[in-house]
Amino acid sequence: MRRTVSIFREQWFFLLIVEVALAVVTGLINPRFFGLNNIENILEQVSVLGLVASGATLLMISGNFDISVGANIGMSACVMAIMIKAGYGYVPSVAAGISVATFNAFFVGVCSILFKAPSFIISLACIGIFRGIALAFTKGVLQLIYGNFEFLGTKRFFNIIPLMFIISLAGFLIVHFILKYTKVGRRAFAIGSNAQATYLAGIPINLNKLIFFIINGLLVGIAATLLLSRIGAAQPSTGSGIELQAIGAVVIGGTPMTGGRGKIIGTFFGVLLTGIISNALNMLQVNPYFQDVAIGALIIVSLAVSAFSQRGQRA
Amino acid sequence: MLASIRNATKIYGQHKALNDVTFELAEGEVHCLVGENGAGKSTLMKILSGAITPDAGTIVLGGTEYRGLTPRQAIELGVATVYQEPELIESLTVADNIYLGDEKSAAFPLVVDTRTQNARARNLVRSLQFNLNEEALVEDLSSAQKQMLQIVKARYRESKIIIMDEPTSSFGLEETNALMNLIRILKAKGIGVIYISHFLEQIFEIGDRITILKDGESMGTFPRSDVDMDTVIRKMVGRDASLFYAKEDVTPGPVQLELRRLSRRGVVEDVSFEVRAGEIFGLGGLVGSGRSELVNLIFGADRRDSGEILIRGRPVRIRNPYDAVEAGMCLITEDRKKLAMFTPRSVAENISIVHNERYEPPVLNLASERRRVRDMVRRLSIAVTDQDEQTIAELSGGNQQKAVIGRWLLSDGLIYIFDEPTKGVDVGARAEIFRIMVELAKAGKSIIMVSSDMPELISMSDRIGVMRGGRLTHVLGRREVTEETLIKYFIGL
Repeated sequence: MRRTVSIFREQWFFLLIVEVALAVVTGLINPRFFGLNNIENILEQVSVLGLVASGATLLMISGNFDISVGANIGMSACVMAIMIKAGYGYVPSVAAGISVATFNAFFVGVCSILFKAPSFIISLACIGIFRGIALAFTKGVLQLIYGNFEFLGTKRFFNIIPLMFIISLAGFLIVHFILKYTKVGRRAFAIGSNAQATYLAGIPINLNKLIFFIINGLLVGIAATLLLSRIGAAQPSTGSGIELQAIGAVVIGGTPMTGGRGKIIGTFFGVLLTGIISNALNMLQVNPYFQDVAIGALIIVSLAVSAFSQRGQRA
Repeated sequence: MLASIRNATKIYGQHKALNDVTFELAEGEVHCLVGENGAGKSTLMKILSGAITPDAGTIVLGGTEYRGLTPRQAIELGVATVYQEPELIESLTVADNIYLGDEKSAAFPLVVDTRTQNARARNLVRSLQFNLNEEALVEDLSSAQKQMLQIVKARYRESKIIIMDEPTSSFGLEETNALMNLIRILKAKGIGVIYISHFLEQIFEIGDRITILKDGESMGTFPRSDVDMDTVIRKMVGRDASLFYAKEDVTPGPVQLELRRLSRRGVVEDVSFEVRAGEIFGLGGLVGSGRSELVNLIFGADRRDSGEILIRGRPVRIRNPYDAVEAGMCLITEDRKKLAMFTPRSVAENISIVHNERYEPPVLNLASERRRVRDMVRRLSIAVTDQDEQTIAELSGGNQQKAVIGRWLLSDGLIYIFDEPTKGVDVGARAEIFRIMVELAKAGKSIIMVSSDMPELISMSDRIGVMRGGRLTHVLGRREVTEETLIKYFIGL
């Protein structure tokens, strides 16, 4: 019984087909879709989400969730914006922002371990904490840094490829490397599929859980930096809602909510698909409210697809 | 006849849990069921209580013949089971539990008439000469009282057949006597009781007839007066010589592992023994005697209250499995699915995980890993078509077990603990697992093997430790044991 390992079994391949089809249809109706400008626009739009979703992939494979990443981005972006406005210079400000994001994610992990609570619930509680802290030190005022710190968000190589997208791609590649080639990656899969068995194999669960959260925090910090540079302003609500988009993209990409399985390439195409759908709906002048509906429906459809394909495997 | 099971057969995979077993229960009879762990007692009772359907055979209840029952049907036909872990609602009172699902309404609909319920419950409890306050909360009862309450419930539902599966395992003497009394009362009321127990004294005290099961087959049903304990024991064991494995002798080396007074309150008490290099130390005992608990203590999976572990004469600190693995211990767990397998991961990942952790740098060399796994797959002849793509869940039970063992062979430990190494594996894989164990012994490893499989325990062990009630009661040399002596020690005769 020789098994054929073909790309037709892979979820990302179907996503690619859907994406091409969607692009062709949209492009036929509105040729501007294929304009260089628009494509660059899509790539920039998905960059921040891509970084957050890469981190979420690692976490979800290990059976964890961090739904505080949106609030975390808000707090970290506010820190950076305030420091840049105060004239601390870009490097110290960005370093501080990324540190804040990393510490926050670490905090979620530590609480989840200490209080033996699922990270999902801990991170839910942390949304309020992070956003509240951000509100406290911004006093609710929008932190504008227009004309300042634009480089990351606007630079395009050869005037075509956005720097943001390259950074985002690097995030995907790093997580891919971790998952495929490192012990930390193997532990993520092991813990996600059977934490008890991992423990009995002599692998410390809590330490590794912290490592996953720290990696996630770093990626979230970089995402916050890019987002700040792109929009040129920060407030506590900056980035809110991205956690659900990211989890959605991971699920669309074929990583199950139960952990132990998943590939970063799926997440990549999942992120791309959400970006293309939002953009296409814009291009087709669909009421923007329906974008959320479309993304939500997409998540349900992809869950249904994997449920049915698993049922097929079992039979 | 209240009930009969005729020619029941139940097959799981390749394993015949029950083979052509016939069992009858008369009115007012206490029919005892004895046999070793895994002899098929529980399977037989599950057929009667509707938890499983036999692959062949029939059940006759109330004069009607059934091919299989649903749990609901069984209850309606008057079959009640008294479980060791009672299915009671802890936060409700005794009376509430008796009337659960059948509450008496007061003047207003939907309002429970607690007073009437309590009064009737009190009468019911008294009619069984059983001392229990009907208004007590179930969570405040002792485990013996909870089991008694289940019997009261069965009486309330007017069950005609009551199955008791090891009811006295957690009882003191007084509680056991109370239960014996209760059974006599039930008997007098014409109720049939099926009594499963390892305590042969109780069986000879209360039983009318005794049915003996061995490896899924009935060894016969006897009136109590026709048999004595020795006969019963002999019929419980005494297997065909072909089931025994001729283990190659390995000359043991120096003492490698030493346990001194290991204890964990309520589970394991004061266990000491040593294992030499090249020696296989078997651990036998009934289910619940503390064998698996003991190996969990050794491996650091559970915390011990006191005691010392020495490896090659040096005390080692083992606080968790990480420490144990670092000290050279390997644990092949009993429950493969729950405690060992990474079900959605590939065979290769499952095999290499411990080795990677112990010997590889943070970034793995996939090519050398592939080679290592391939060698192991070949060495253990694991039937796998694509080690990198096929998940471990897709393998057969025997191959899964071999893959899990391979994981620990790659880790190259010093002390190998096998908990039920051949549970749920086919005959071929069983022989291969035995071969691996001998190979390990030859390489100077120390092996602890927990087993409920008597031929396995006797043929593979150099010495056998008997666990009963959390204590190591006997340590026997291989040549001085027979199945009969062992089972006597297990039961505590």
